[in-house]
Amino acid sequence: MRVVIAEDAAVLRELLTEMLTERGHEVCAAVPDADALRAAVAEHRPDVTVVDIRMPPTHTDEGLHAAIDIRRTHPGTGVLLFSQHVETRYAAQLLAEGAAGVGYLLKDRVANVAEFTDALARVAAGGTALDPVIVTRLAADGGRQSDGLGALTERERSVLTMMAEGRTNAAIAQALYVSAGTVEKHVASIFGKLGLPASEDHNRRVLAVLRYLRA
Amino acid sequence: MSEARGPSERRRTGAAPRTVRQVPPAVPVVRRVSVRTVLRTPFTRRTWSEAAYCVVGLPPALVGFVLVLVLLAVGTALTLSLLGAVVGLLLLTAALGLARVLAAAQRGLAARLLGERLPGPPPVPAASGPLGRLDVRLRDGAGWRSAGYVLAKLPLAAVQLYAVLGLWVATLLNLSLPLRWGLLGQYPDHGGGAEASVVNPLPFGGGAPHITTFGGTWVAFAIGVGLLLVAPWPARGAVAMDRWLLHGLLGPGALESRVRDLEETRALAVDDSAALLRRLERDLHDGAQVRLVALAMSLDMLREGLGADPGTDAPAAGGARTEGGAEGARTEGAGTEGARTDGVRGDEGGRSPVDAARLRRLADTAHRNATEALSELRDLARGIHPPALDDGLPDALDTLAARSVLPVRLTVDLPRRPTPAIETIAYFCAAELLTNAIKHSGARGVEVEAAQRDGAIRLRVTDDGRGGATLGGGLTGLLQRVRTVDGGLDVDSPEGGPTVVTVTLPPHA
Repeated sequence: MRVVIAEDAAVLRELLTEMLTERGHEVCAAVPDADALRAAVAEHRPDVTVVDIRMPPTHTDEGLHAAIDIRRTHPGTGVLLFSQHVETRYAAQLLAEGAAGVGYLLKDRVANVAEFTDALARVAAGGTALDPVIVTRLAADGGRQSDGLGALTERERSVLTMMAEGRTNAAIAQALYVSAGTVEKHVASIFGKLGLPASEDHNRRVLAVLRYLRA
Repeated sequence: MSEARGPSERRRTGAAPRTVRQVPPAVPVVRRVSVRTVLRTPFTRRTWSEAAYCVVGLPPALVGFVLVLVLLAVGTALTLSLLGAVVGLLLLTAALGLARVLAAAQRGLAARLLGERLPGPPPVPAASGPLGRLDVRLRDGAGWRSAGYVLAKLPLAAVQLYAVLGLWVATLLNLSLPLRWGLLGQYPDHGGGAEASVVNPLPFGGGAPHITTFGGTWVAFAIGVGLLLVAPWPARGAVAMDRWLLHGLLGPGALESRVRDLEETRALAVDDSAALLRRLERDLHDGAQVRLVALAMSLDMLREGLGADPGTDAPAAGGARTEGGAEGARTEGAGTEGARTDGVRGDEGGRSPVDAARLRRLADTAHRNATEALSELRDLARGIHPPALDDGLPDALDTLAARSVLPVRLTVDLPRRPTPAIETIAYFCAAELLTNAIKHSGARGVEVEAAQRDGAIRLRVTDDGRGGATLGGGLTGLLQRVRTVDGGLDVDSPEGGPTVVTVTLPPHA
């Protein structure tokens, strides 16, 4: 993967660069603020960017705006936002234009290097990676709505949660210690309850996730 | 009294420059009046602006005196007659209102000509109902003191005018006598000999020397010079009297100014502490939290390095990752389980040196501690200053509502942004009230409303729970917090619900 990192803390910037390089990825640029990020993305056209939300000058949500810009201007570049706190409204803003090629993780997740690079790879490939905390919170929100999400069983909701995290059926099966067939049954039931017509499987999957995230 | 308190008051107000007010010096300073001062005084700017103050003062003083006195007298008479009590009381309030207006004009004049900058009294407090309004207006201390000043000012203004006009006219006439006599010929000899007299500015001792020769006019001139040097001082005396009245009657009272000082310093303290907490959160965010993330990341890389076992790890890698993630999704503390499983797997792999396994266990523990510290630190930082508040109260309340386990209906209408300290208090109130509703009321839904009226913020949290909440426990803590900015908290929670808690906050501390 070709990666651009935007993180204002030098310690973390260097460590991320080192870790990704060690794993055979190319870090084209590691920059400390949002403007430099936009410039670096325009210059290097990376597969994916890792973006801290709080960056200078205001230390609030510069990273989020840069991420939304990048998704708009460079659809080929995935964006993985990461932050000390995750806010559902940031997630909602980020996902407003689609869930493909975006990720939003708590900074803590970097502490699990394998999982983090895995998420980064998913985002680079046009997938989604949402932090479990965000997903649970959105799920709690979604569960209160009436548009079919409330009808989901506990198990179905956790399957949908993992779908939102960007996992495949096989990965979900492994995580829940069930067979792939069982997961498929759950997925079909979810589609049914959400009223998604049987057409192309992948499309329905994205629709289900989006319905769930926007609820 | 006020002199004795002078120095301590000055020290207290010294910290906040905007609260400095005119305080008479503690020890009466005995200034030596030098000849130079005496010679220069008639020509100083101060003398002339004091003179101007004395001259312009009389007409408005006269008008004000008459109006206020008539209103007060008629008002009092009517009130006492009982028949016209209502009209009488209204006339009294009109007198006080007029006195306030005149006092404000007088403060303006004093500020412009005397350099006495007196802060005006606070406006008459708002009250509900005609009787309430009448009551606060009749008990308006500032209004009564203003009326007192208006009444006292007329005799004083008369003295002031006389002190200026009388003396300066006499001075000029005496000084110019040789000129008028000799050059202008104002005193021609009509046979019986020319005659002029020295003008005496005093209302008594009329026997001023008569002058019959041109040479004699120089006596008048000399007296004129003397008068010129003396002239500023009576006016200054009369003005000093006025300054004393201004401070006593139109300035803020000692208690009032103390309250003002306290309000200002309290506002500073509240704002300071809000800013301090915000800085603390940012420091944590940029410092300790970043270091801990880096530490946990390094420990994980170390763990990986130690556990690199080609026999078991490579094929299982994908599964292990997913597994770890799923555990993270289900429980926050799932790291323990994952770590143990990995450790067992390492042993099974038969990696001979026991040290490697031990090191790996240590690394696991360290990693777990680092991630737990990270999440504890995050909760701590959020408790210090919720980061969502940086984007304003509406966003922060939105975040709060999104995080709640009960459905929250949120209505926010805050056209003007309050100060950060107020936003923080409002946020923590909403958070606490929401938690209370969830924990104690058994409610199925909560409504949070934030609105603004006349700048003041009203936060209302309503739940459909069982009610019966009283102002105790957690609510007392909230009330204390709200009161630091003169806010209020009102609980309406009949047995059986619903519970409505209303918090009112000013737009700034």
